[in-house]
Amino acid sequence: MAEEILWGLPVIGYLFLAGVGAGALTVSASVLLRGGGGGFAGQHFEIARYGAFLAPLPLVVGCLLLILELGSFEAGHWFKWINLYKTINLSPMSIGTWLLTGFIGISILYAYTFLPKTPGLGKNKDQLRRLLAWVSVPLGISTAVYTGVLLGAMPARPFWNSPVLAMLFLVSALSTGVAVILLFRAIFPPRKAEEPHKPMVAEYFQKRDQSAYLLTASDLMLVGFEMLVIFLFIMYAHLSVGAVKGSISVILFGGEMSVLFWFGVVIVGLLAPALIELYYVIPKLLNHQPFDAPLIIEIVVPIAVLIGGFMLRYVVVMAGQITGPIGI
Amino acid sequence: MNDVKTSTPVARRDILKTIGLTATVGAGAAILSKPASAAVTTAKPQFGMLIDLRRCIGCHACSVSCKAEFDVPLGATRSWVEYIEKGDYPNVSRSFLPRLCNHCSEPSCVDVCPTDATWKRKADGVVVVDPDICIGCKYCLQACPYDARFINPVTGAADKCDFCLHRTIKGLEPSCVNACMGGARIFGDINDPSSEISKRIAHEPVSVLRQEQGTEPNVYYIAADHSDENIAKSRGRYVRVDTHRRQQERR
Ligand code: SF4
Ligand code: SF4
Repeated sequence: MAEEILWGLPVIGYLFLAGVGAGALTVSASVLLRGGGGGFAGQHFEIARYGAFLAPLPLVVGCLLLILELGSFEAGHWFKWINLYKTINLSPMSIGTWLLTGFIGISILYAYTFLPKTPGLGKNKDQLRRLLAWVSVPLGISTAVYTGVLLGAMPARPFWNSPVLAMLFLVSALSTGVAVILLFRAIFPPRKAEEPHKPMVAEYFQKRDQSAYLLTASDLMLVGFEMLVIFLFIMYAHLSVGAVKGSISVILFGGEMSVLFWFGVVIVGLLAPALIELYYVIPKLLNHQPFDAPLIIEIVVPIAVLIGGFMLRYVVVMAGQITGPIGI
Repeated sequence: MNDVKTSTPVARRDILKTIGLTATVGAGAAILSKPASAAVTTAKPQFGMLIDLRRCIGCHACSVSCKAEFDVPLGATRSWVEYIEKGDYPNVSRSFLPRLCNHCSEPSCVDVCPTDATWKRKADGVVVVDPDICIGCKYCLQACPYDARFINPVTGAADKCDFCLHRTIKGLEPSCVNACMGGARIFGDINDPSSEISKRIAHEPVSVLRQEQGTEPNVYYIAADHSDENIAKSRGRYVRVDTHRRQQERR
């Protein structure tokens, strides 16, 4: 089809990165809050710290990508995007602008509270961190939901104009958020120097496995949930009529984007990671055997989930633009 | 032809008259009985266009005059003419569908603009873009169900038909109306019951494009062929739409 692709790779990359960052922040903050001072406090804290450090950068990079795609930037007006800050209205993009700005500010501050040395914070560090975590949970969820609302707000784009899309982006954001934490935890394991009160190596590794299990199990749950939401997204569109039914057909069998969707999103991003995770989670879940996923699995599975998250944004953004209203 | 040419100035004077009348009679009506006030139109002016396709010969004069009027960059179109070809020989037809921004009463482009760079003017209902505010985010391009907008590569801002605002504020009619050799285009205030356009809309069988999108377009057509390539394809019928724009398919 000779359609105009108005939003290309920069916007796709932005939607993906915003999801990853929002997911990482939400997971980090909710794990921190849930962990409290109880039994798993150590593991929870460790996961929360990875999430906190991983959250701001994707958002900053994503926003820079967005600016690259602006017509004004392409025409050489490099700072015209400042106009976004001169108003606030009910456009999802306007609300999103302020949301993202708040997100970047709060997430950087939140990450700062996790640094070993935090000049200027003093004794109130823990209190501030918890306070920021309370703000971060709704902030992360709204940012992830907003990326879906942004696309969903237009009846002229039948593929996007579905209430399920925002939900799909939220679940995908959370699962990619967990994946990015798993990945960085596997590549850059927590240094023993940071655990001075845990001298026993065996105990340390047990603890590490415990948090890997926590993450893998929650990722598995999210991936499963994502499959359900994708099923609803497709089913409701397919059971509709006219433009909506026509638009969903591009990702169904015989459609222009069906291979990318079924291979890239469903098989690579969902089914394969879910099956592998299931293989390692089941023994612990059912038989209380120790969780021992090899390091390579801890690296490959999150990468597959991240690729799937990117492919989901790619397929959705493209499919939305090669379809439109039918009739005239 | 003559009546078409004068329709705009007349319409504009009528607007002023109507507004003046509304003010005086409105004030009087408060004192008088209720039925008197009901007879007075309080609708805001809304510029619109009626395109009589029985008079359109698909000559592209409107597209060309628009290009010249605004120096529209290569590859972009504010106003364009589609050709619709359908049927199997010998039962065939070719019809024309001039297109432009519909200056919708519920414009979805305005709803999504994050910078308030595009809005619907209260004075005449024309939907305009301020290129000094617009950041070119393309949200409105996505939201318009008529594909009426584009990013102007020179300004980097969203651009589209503005009913030749620089002409209409001087009481002239839009350039495409002026150039139409068939006299197929009628321009004026569709909320003024005495305007040529509103009379024609009342008297003729008219239709708008993609009414189901709910944007309440203000460009009306007489004898438009609503055949669509994609729908026809799924029914096994032959319809070919030539858009005469860079976007080779209707979106
Ligand atoms: S036709 Fe499109 S650009 Fe014009 S007012 Fe309607 S929605 Fe906006
Ligand atoms: S491209 Fe310009 S007019 Fe259109 S929504 Fe973005 S800022 Fe508003």
